[in-house]
Amino acid sequence: MPLSQTATMVPVTVNKDLCIADKGCTVCVDVCPLDVLRIAVTDDGTKTAYMKYDECWYCMPCEADCPTGAVTVNLPYLLK
Amino acid sequence: MDEILDGLTQIDCDILVIGGGTAGPMAALKAKKKNPEANVVLLDKANVKRSGAISMGMDGLNNSVIPGYATPEQYTKEITIANDGICDQAAVYRYAEECYGIIKELDSFGIRFQKDQNGEYDVKKVHHIGTYVLPMPNGDTVKKALYRQLRKARINIVNRYMATRLLTGEGRVAGAICVNTRTAEFLVVRAKAVIMGLGAAGRLGLPTSGYLYGTYENASNSGEGYAMAFHAGAGLANLECYQINPLIKDYNGPACAYVAGPLGGYTANAAGERFIECDYWSGQMMQEFYDELQGGKGPVFLKLDHLAEETVAEIERVLHIVERPTRGHFHAGRGTDYRKTMIEMHISEIGFCSGHSASGVFVDENARTTIAGLYAAGDMANVPHNYMLGAFTHGAFAGEDAADYIKDMDFAEFDHAEVEAERIRVLAPTKRDDGIPPNQIEYKTRRLVNDYLQPPKVTAKMQLAQKRFAEVREDMEQGMYVRDAHELMRALEASTILDCADMAAAASLYRTESRWGLYHNRVEYERDDENWFCHTILTKGADGQPAHAKKAVQPYVVDIADEEKDAYYNQRVDPSVAAE
Amino acid sequence: MSALFEEFDDIADLALGLDDPSSGTRIMAVIDLADSADPAAIPYLTLAISDPDAGVRRQAALALTSFDGPQTAGALVIALSDSDPAVREAAAISLTELKDPEAGNAILPHLGDTDEFKLLSCFAGIKELRRAEAMVPAIAALSHSSAVVRVQAVGVVGWLQDEASLLPLCDAADDDDPAVRRAALAALGFSKSDTAQKALMDALRDPEWLVREAAAETLAKSGSPSCVPALRSVLTDDFWQVRLKAVRSLGKLGATEAAMQIGAMMELNLPNLRKECAAVLGELAVPQTRIFLMPFEDDTDPDVRKNVRWALGRIDKTAA
Repeated sequence: MPLSQTATMVPVTVNKDLCIADKGCTVCVDVCPLDVLRIAVTDDGTKTAYMKYDECWYCMPCEADCPTGAVTVNLPYLLK
Repeated sequence: MDEILDGLTQIDCDILVIGGGTAGPMAALKAKKKNPEANVVLLDKANVKRSGAISMGMDGLNNSVIPGYATPEQYTKEITIANDGICDQAAVYRYAEECYGIIKELDSFGIRFQKDQNGEYDVKKVHHIGTYVLPMPNGDTVKKALYRQLRKARINIVNRYMATRLLTGEGRVAGAICVNTRTAEFLVVRAKAVIMGLGAAGRLGLPTSGYLYGTYENASNSGEGYAMAFHAGAGLANLECYQINPLIKDYNGPACAYVAGPLGGYTANAAGERFIECDYWSGQMMQEFYDELQGGKGPVFLKLDHLAEETVAEIERVLHIVERPTRGHFHAGRGTDYRKTMIEMHISEIGFCSGHSASGVFVDENARTTIAGLYAAGDMANVPHNYMLGAFTHGAFAGEDAADYIKDMDFAEFDHAEVEAERIRVLAPTKRDDGIPPNQIEYKTRRLVNDYLQPPKVTAKMQLAQKRFAEVREDMEQGMYVRDAHELMRALEASTILDCADMAAAASLYRTESRWGLYHNRVEYERDDENWFCHTILTKGADGQPAHAKKAVQPYVVDIADEEKDAYYNQRVDPSVAAE
Repeated sequence: MSALFEEFDDIADLALGLDDPSSGTRIMAVIDLADSADPAAIPYLTLAISDPDAGVRRQAALALTSFDGPQTAGALVIALSDSDPAVREAAAISLTELKDPEAGNAILPHLGDTDEFKLLSCFAGIKELRRAEAMVPAIAALSHSSAVVRVQAVGVVGWLQDEASLLPLCDAADDDDPAVRRAALAALGFSKSDTAQKALMDALRDPEWLVREAAAETLAKSGSPSCVPALRSVLTDDFWQVRLKAVRSLGKLGATEAAMQIGAMMELNLPNLRKECAAVLGELAVPQTRIFLMPFEDDTDPDVRKNVRWALGRIDKTAA
């Protein structure tokens, strides 16, 4: 019984150019109450934060606490 | 990260505080202040910096009892009346007497409350007998300020560990079993006292948007406190008194009539007429709201379009910055302008939360539960209409009482087989090769909650719910499957949610009368003071299922005249004003 | 297993990150220093306020809210002149979070600054600290060319609650700018003097409704029976908001002579105002007003009928 890959549009987006995960920043990952953000290594080897789990309360600490303004919280499509 | 690791660590502390949201940090600080030698550990499923219901802050206090604006007597009386008389007043009265001190203390932490041009608290008039609303213009700094105090006091903070079961022995609390949410490693904490501040059961009903996390409550508040108290054998009071709130439709955040109210905004029907009192959230008010929605006079709206531009701008400034700042994004996305359009409202999914109702783990005026050494405070404890300030104040009571309790107390012996049994239970979904993912278990449970438990409550429907919950439980216990530690956290939450759903059904079936307006509207039964003017206490029976008992309401501290007792009730049922 | 408890690292170790060539690392070091909540971090954050990177400077300005006292305030005052607006903004907000009166030592010397933003922010910061020394510069700033500065200066004066400031506050109540007048009238709330009452009563005739509203509201605190006729005169104001505040203040002042006039207002089709009138009629409890209340005992507006019933009950109780 394999698990399916259902597409979903995630509410939290990260601007790679502004994200400083490369420098060891994990602020957004740390503050998320639902723990849905992670750091990914992109193709060119740099690190950036991204939303791994679509379990967002659209509460905003990730956006508010990001030191470089790289994170944007949109409303989940189902309720916007 | 998220890879499942095998590990078990044991630590000892004097006082374990579970939950770093609102009540928890205050409990930890007060315990440490009273007994600086005590080893206090504050544990949170998320990160204390931004955890809990006030993750992004709060726009104001709804129930501040400030000398000159309200008295403890007035407040206690109003809360008693709003809860149809089922209220142990001692805890409410003590709160009312001491919350002003807590406000001043929070102020000294750097949390600012609105002050007038003379630097005095700018209490807004909302309620007519007393005045309780105190806005917080920089309420977005609450968590930061609390965190700073925790660090200064050198409280031991443990983040990203989820407590799953309490340990008991010798008739008292012995500690807790916890699981790391990113590695699945176990942590056993032996403690002389445990303070629970785990928040509401906010993921019980399913929001109409269908998005599992689009809840009114912070979606990380999935009801662990209730489930852990139940499994440890503590008493839970009046769980049939659900929380249901009037919210902005789809956004599912508070409309904040108490922000808009003093400035002239109010809840209106489709004709733009006020149909409910704006002062409180109560079960009676929610019944009116429900009737209006069902009776063809809806939709229901928050009406601000009659206000002056300057006033609307002020309301926007407050509502779009603090508590749920994405509210501004939501309205912008739909092109809603408060000046021109009324804001559509709806009623929330059901949940457990004493913040606005009267259910929860039973506690007395010292925040003690029915288990020695175990405390509860905030949204999960049963002190009614407690809101944020109640969480802080009762958190303080818990911390101070626990600091005394642990003196000359040693660790209680517990059965170590419990730890092993819990490891097997927790890790079961990691031991399978495939199966049902936790989100499907959760979705199904919560969909059934909506279908069968949402008021108006019907006996046959609730019995069906119990049958279906048992089927889901069987699926969960035999077939739930997770791929990583994060999913394991969700699996544990799904289990908690199912426990809460079972308790909600059982408690609702037990009280064979209607009370608290919509919260416990049992269509087959009238209100019955003769048999049901009492608390109901739910505990874990010998068979593992919920057991029930009645508990007398403690003699009132503040007398309430007979004609006042039913002030809210009488206001509603007058035939001349009843909804057509 | 990674570290179980949040750590209490050595501040000097954390500060090493401030020397890193990467601005990202320096930002992280600033955040860690703030989270330490250890005053030993203040000197390092003070240095970071002059970092070449604006992102680091902004983070440092935010981080300083974790601390208090003159050194913190001094660093924030420097940041108020930063070339980057985001840094200045962060510093201004942080400055208003100070609680330690001693922090005022670093702000007081700047209360005559020529830069408007800096001056404004320094007044906002010193207000909560309630330093008496701020009175003279704040009164001087009541004639500043910028209305925003004048509003802040009014706040500083009002918080000090000194009868000696009544005349300057009354002057501000006559300011050209309505926001200044509004603030000044509210600031008079600490005084029950004839001077304050006169200014407030005069302002009931202000052309701006928000100013009249502030005056009507503040008279609940500053007023005395002699203010009742003036308050009654605005019961017919064009703006219901002003009328509502006047009704409320008349209730607070126990102005039973206004009861019949307030009773007649129950007819108006303004839900908020009718609600307030009913409540105040209950407070005043004049038996003759029963006739105004009785038709609304079953009003369709629940707040109105609730207050009407409460008021009728109170009138009956008082009469008995």
